[in-house]
Amino acid sequence: MNDTTLKIAIAEPSVIIRSGLSVVLKRVTGLHIQTFEITTIDLINNYVRLHKPDILIINPAYWGAVDVARLKQDSGVGDLKCFALTSAMTDPAIIKQYDDEITTYDTAESIREKLNKLFEPAVVEAGEENETLSQREKEILVCVVKGQTNKEIAQDLFLSTHTVITHRRNIARKLEIHSTAGLTIYAIVNKLVELDEIKKDM
Amino acid sequence: MQTHKFTERTRMSELVNEDASLLSTISRFGISFGFGDKTVKEACLANNIDCNTFLAVVNFLSEGNIEITEVLDTISIETVIGYLKNAHEYFLDYKLPSIRNKLIAAVDSSDQSEPYKVVFMKFFDEYFSEVKKHMEYEDKTVFPYVIKLLKGKTEGKYKIADFEDQHSDVDSKLAELKNILIKYYPAKGVNYMLNDVLFDLLSCEKDLSMHNQVEDFFFVPYIEAIEQKNKLA
Repeated sequence: MNDTTLKIAIAEPSVIIRSGLSVVLKRVTGLHIQTFEITTIDLINNYVRLHKPDILIINPAYWGAVDVARLKQDSGVGDLKCFALTSAMTDPAIIKQYDDEITTYDTAESIREKLNKLFEPAVVEAGEENETLSQREKEILVCVVKGQTNKEIAQDLFLSTHTVITHRRNIARKLEIHSTAGLTIYAIVNKLVELDEIKKDM
Repeated sequence: MQTHKFTERTRMSELVNEDASLLSTISRFGISFGFGDKTVKEACLANNIDCNTFLAVVNFLSEGNIEITEVLDTISIETVIGYLKNAHEYFLDYKLPSIRNKLIAAVDSSDQSEPYKVVFMKFFDEYFSEVKKHMEYEDKTVFPYVIKLLKGKTEGKYKIADFEDQHSDVDSKLAELKNILIKYYPAKGVNYMLNDVLFDLLSCEKDLSMHNQVEDFFFVPYIEAIEQKNKLA
């Protein structure tokens, strides 16, 4: 899953239900959701293949038996999740094919719970975690900013390269900064390094 | 038949009043201001723009939700390409340089001006060159490919699908700079210049992402459909 935006496609013929669900999804707290509305069933395969959504919500009542397993397989998306969108009692055998069900009586809150259940723990931890860097992470950040490779950092700090990579990933997640140039700004404005120390890379 | 918010009888002035963010769209189509009471149809005619294409793009941008429908066959792809090229020019030659200047001015006013300037400019220039590379690739590779395709010529193995999935990086870099300024920039007191840069960054971020959406959900599916048709023929 993309760590910034959740791409959700809604395949539903009614424009009112489609855009209604789309509005509710944008209200789900703690997640940035981008929705795509698919108007007819024949467009699903092409859309999914081209735009690779994280979640596909389909109304099974309108389009009869959609072979969900097949759809997932053909999608080329490693971990595509499919929800059934229902407005009335639906055969449990149909619903069982899907990862979960969203009904027209769901609230933003109940949808959030369903999404979290699927993407645990990746989604849940966002925003609830301490974002300050540990001492070790600061040390590693300084090395990164000075232009050292993972291997060099590992040697200097007596760590395995694997550990260095894990630390780097945590730093990027905590600060929401992924590029070295961005980390450099962070290090300078927080006085973790002086400009002279990194000047050769500038 | 889908109906949309704006039609060929909508007055241009009404369109802008309804949705001010369409101002830049209008310019990118090459339509200049001073519309008087002209309708969309009249303004397009006067500026030699395909009216259906113009309407399709402004409705797409203004409705704000991305609807995947059958590909329209009444669109002038040349007009879309012209529009996209103008947008590239706007970002590369006007908007991003202007943000760069404002960023320099804002950083200059801090008491750490020298080191800040160095690191911020390095970041911005890296970002700028990425955007530039991406847009030039579209101008020099993608669009010429599409124009050949329209003339029925296909050569090589290039497919429009290869072009997908390249946008997210460009977007996220700008979001990162915004993040750094909001969360980590140690500004003292009120800094209007910094506000100004942030505001510009936010609107540019949105503008760029809309631009990318036009490419991904409007332009690309259209080209895909032509590729499919050619393959079957």
